[in-house]
Amino acid sequence: MNATGIPLKEPSVSAAAGATEQLERAYIDASTRVPVLMFYTSAMAWLILGTLLAGFVSFKLHAPDLLSNISFLTWGRMRPAHMNVMVYGWASMAGIGTAIWLMARLCRTVLRYPLLLVAAAGFWNLGVLLGVGGIVLGDSTGYQWLEFPGYAAIILFVAYTLVASWAVLMFRYRRGEQIYITQWYLLGAFLWFPWLYAAGQLMLFVVPVQGVLQSAVGWWYANNLLFLWFGAIALGTAYYMIPKVIGRPVYSYHLATIGFWSYALFSSWTGMQRLVDGPFPAWMITASIAAVILTMIPVATVGLNHHMTMQGYFPLMRYSPTLRFTVFGAMSYTVFSVVGLLISLRSVARYVSFTQASIAYSHLGLYAFFTMTIFGAMYYIVPRLIGREWRYASLIKLHFWASAYGIGLMTLMLLAGGFLQGADMENPTLPFSETVETVLPYLRGRSLAGILLTVSHFIFAYHFGLMLLGLGRTSTVPTFLNPVEAEEASGGH
Amino acid sequence: MKGLAPLFLGIFGTFAFSWVGLTVLPNWQIGHLNPQSDEEGTDIYPQPQSGMFERGARVYAANGCIYCHSQQVRADYAADDIERGWGNRRSAPRDYIFERPVFLGKMRMGQDIANIGARAPAEQASPAASGAAPATASSPATAAAASPATSPGSSPPAGAPSPGPKTGLASPSPAAANAMPGGATSASAGPQTAGPPWPIQTIGEPPMYSAAWHHVHLYSPRSINFDSNMPAYRFLYKKRRISDARSADALKLTGSDAPPEGWEVIPSYDAKCLVAYLMALNQSHPLKEAKSAGGAPPAAGSPAAPPSPAAAGSPAPAK
Repeated sequence: MNATGIPLKEPSVSAAAGATEQLERAYIDASTRVPVLMFYTSAMAWLILGTLLAGFVSFKLHAPDLLSNISFLTWGRMRPAHMNVMVYGWASMAGIGTAIWLMARLCRTVLRYPLLLVAAAGFWNLGVLLGVGGIVLGDSTGYQWLEFPGYAAIILFVAYTLVASWAVLMFRYRRGEQIYITQWYLLGAFLWFPWLYAAGQLMLFVVPVQGVLQSAVGWWYANNLLFLWFGAIALGTAYYMIPKVIGRPVYSYHLATIGFWSYALFSSWTGMQRLVDGPFPAWMITASIAAVILTMIPVATVGLNHHMTMQGYFPLMRYSPTLRFTVFGAMSYTVFSVVGLLISLRSVARYVSFTQASIAYSHLGLYAFFTMTIFGAMYYIVPRLIGREWRYASLIKLHFWASAYGIGLMTLMLLAGGFLQGADMENPTLPFSETVETVLPYLRGRSLAGILLTVSHFIFAYHFGLMLLGLGRTSTVPTFLNPVEAEEASGGH
Repeated sequence: MKGLAPLFLGIFGTFAFSWVGLTVLPNWQIGHLNPQSDEEGTDIYPQPQSGMFERGARVYAANGCIYCHSQQVRADYAADDIERGWGNRRSAPRDYIFERPVFLGKMRMGQDIANIGARAPAEQASPAASGAAPATASSPATAAAASPATSPGSSPPAGAPSPGPKTGLASPSPAAANAMPGGATSASAGPQTAGPPWPIQTIGEPPMYSAAWHHVHLYSPRSINFDSNMPAYRFLYKKRRISDARSADALKLTGSDAPPEGWEVIPSYDAKCLVAYLMALNQSHPLKEAKSAGGAPPAAGSPAAPPSPAAAGSPAPAK
């Protein structure tokens, strides 16, 4: 691409696309159908399971006697089960599905080697199933975010290697010299994940590091999984969906470049701030806190870029489900990063580092930022795979509002509860049990938020199921959230 | 961006930079620590743990204790962990060199238990399972170091009018005393205001933090602390009919938790290992790099540091 131009051949004004190009695009979409739907359908199943587990975990936290006498339903097994189902089952699979589709579209070539991906989806499901089964049966490794026992981890890794090799192969078949912004992020995600996973597994299980370094490796892995895997996929998706839906190129290519490289450089150095004041050399934690502060550079550039792209087009969020979810996700990226910065500063971290605030942070990243963006992408992609449009605008609206209010309420509850819990804990005259009492009402509020999210996920799963069964609308116009004037519609899709 | 090579190199480079910086360098710095010993090569700390400890750690991992309990004490200038009585000094990397997995923890819905073994009654303070019992003879005992649980003025929970005869730590013992100068300090400093950091001794219960107490606590947390939020771990216990005599390790349960007449509740081997593990969690041994009982950050501290009344900012231990 040239120095001044904007590399937006692909996601640029689709209305101007010629008939050949439209046909070609439909052809590419059709070629991704089986693998992407396989990943999406599995992801939806894991999402529902993870949601049920989440509700159970949330209620058990303030009702500890609920079904506690059965070993595999004990809270300490259900919690990692929920977390791993969401991380490796739902988020990773939905992310891979989205990334596959985006890769095929942006490489402008039909999907090659679909069997590689079908096998990967199968292995991935098997890995998650064995891993969650292992956790429930008491085989957890005891490392947060890496609880899957070895036999599950190796299967996941095999599955993953298939996906990554597919991505590299696809790149070789790409047409055109340009590599669009989304592809940087996706290629990054596809390569970072296996390195990250392998590094984590090697340093914890194969040639384990000594003592506290296991925790350092664990949080290095967890944070990088959040940023370099989920974050990269979500940002890449947003860079595609926002310009695509509004039919306008990305505001600034230079900002995007700065954003990408500063993101890769700084966010990968975060993680140790979660161990603040722990038994570590202080420089490790300070380095991560500094990195967290520096992540404000990608936040500002990416945020500004998206904002300037959207400038004047925000009203389209009234109509396009994809845009609404994606913009919510993109805005949540800023919120997630700012909250992350806030709770990392030493003066704040001393209060909140052992409280629910860190759970709020993880949910902001994995749900408000990543999951909402992926929901948006699914609203865009699924109709193009199936050839039908979403059936009910009302269900999409319900899904959005239940998700948005659910995650908003959950974050507020956990943050507020966490800050109060932390303040109580730093008051040694207060018995410990009172610090727990303090946070319990907020945990009940969180359960309430969980109900909202459960409703939203069941609605989405039902709608998705209708689509899978071919019960979507047959129409040339996408499903808009609100009735739309004809000329506005043509600009949208 | 043109061409794959710069993109690939950048992606790899940023990753490698972070990997080297945050895992390889720290591993080079603190990844090969040895236990500490005195000049004669004795008084070695920490020491490798027993098989029961290892298995107990597996049970701890399997049942997700880490999601509510941390095992790290922060320095007194960073937080109030020591004042809360969770330890007498900050945790240091050396404390964990034999632990795998290491359970530092990120959440305190339950108490920090880095030193729960140090709270055991004297006769159990160095359980056979541990093998890591520190030789504490070099440190003079701090007197009146009864557990905060027995500090005057601590109000017993409902249903327990006064500390019972089994109040455990009433007699100061060198081991227990040395274990918890921090806790003792805060307790003796303000028994009227300072709440006990741990559940209060209830009448009729086994001595606090003894093995028997842990079993009852795991089996029925709310029988010991009414406000506890901990789930019960009854699946680690077996209820069985008493054949001829009551087993020695049968749980001493009261009230609604007690099994029917002629029955008893005994711990499974996993439960015994878990308790052996908990009883061995003890970071009270002095470390050169982590000054005990508050004060300045690591200095040339001597092993006899903990009872030092010179610790700035914290009240002198009661004599």
